[in-house]
Amino acid sequence: MSATASDVSRSAARPPVVDLLLRPFAYVAGGRSLLLGLAAIVLAGFLGSLSHTHFDGVLDMHTGLAVPTSVFLSEGIVNWLTMSIALFLFGKLVSRAEFRVRDLFGTQAMARWPTVLAALGALAPPYRRLVSSITVQVLQSGGLSAQRADIVLGGLIMLVALLTIVWMVALMYHSYSLCCNIRGLRAAVSFIAALVAAEIVSKIVVVRVLVG
Amino acid sequence: MRNLPTNCPSCNGQLLVKRLACPECATEVEGCYQLPALASLDAEDQRFIIQFVESSGSLKEMARLLGVSYPTVRNRLDEIIARVVGARALGEDEDERNSE
Repeated sequence: MSATASDVSRSAARPPVVDLLLRPFAYVAGGRSLLLGLAAIVLAGFLGSLSHTHFDGVLDMHTGLAVPTSVFLSEGIVNWLTMSIALFLFGKLVSRAEFRVRDLFGTQAMARWPTVLAALGALAPPYRRLVSSITVQVLQSGGLSAQRADIVLGGLIMLVALLTIVWMVALMYHSYSLCCNIRGLRAAVSFIAALVAAEIVSKIVVVRVLVG
Repeated sequence: MRNLPTNCPSCNGQLLVKRLACPECATEVEGCYQLPALASLDAEDQRFIIQFVESSGSLKEMARLLGVSYPTVRNRLDEIIARVVGARALGEDEDERNSE
């Protein structure tokens, strides 16, 4: 996905739905995206607290440990900040264009909105039963005790949750490419480097500082 | 009025102005003139620049008018700046060659 500068037409037409899902930042950035993104991060954290689902790292989603709601809320903020700061630094290093910090941070916040869907999916009873069954299996080394329907439905929800994470990464890349005006190999390589750095830092902060 | 062709349909090279005419008295001037950098942009880019000037150079206002985000407009402007700089460099090279 590249920046959509050449897509600008003379008149403001209604954007296609696919564009809104995959390239929303061609239409929304700055303060508006920051507000929407922060609302989504807080909502995902709150929904996560109901099912003990943690976003404990930029790319992570795990269900398990019961901790205060403030930890669930903080995890999303840590993930957003570490990824935004990493992309800002790589953007400054790689891009020749001037870019606004609020566009990058705002669109990065909004790029995390698919985690709301993942957190909603984690509330579904089949998913919760499957996760607790897997946890028991891991802890006691026994057989999987979940019912067949729970395995199918819970597995399907896990697959959808995985896809939402992939979608979130695609949105993050679109945000970076557009806001820093970087394309092609330079954009891809610097994005992956920033993602790896942010994943490591966010994991350390969440596990050692917030939960630990 | 029809769009001004800026590139050769055969080799895609930059076109030059060979003849100019006065619509009032039909006087014609022949020569070999470079297109101004802005005139060498395509019609869409020229429309964008006109809108940019009409918006008093405000990218925020442009974004609002076009229904797109600020970075989208900013990137489009950066693309046009790169094209104008390229066209100017090409013109300067041409001038140097002509003066030799």
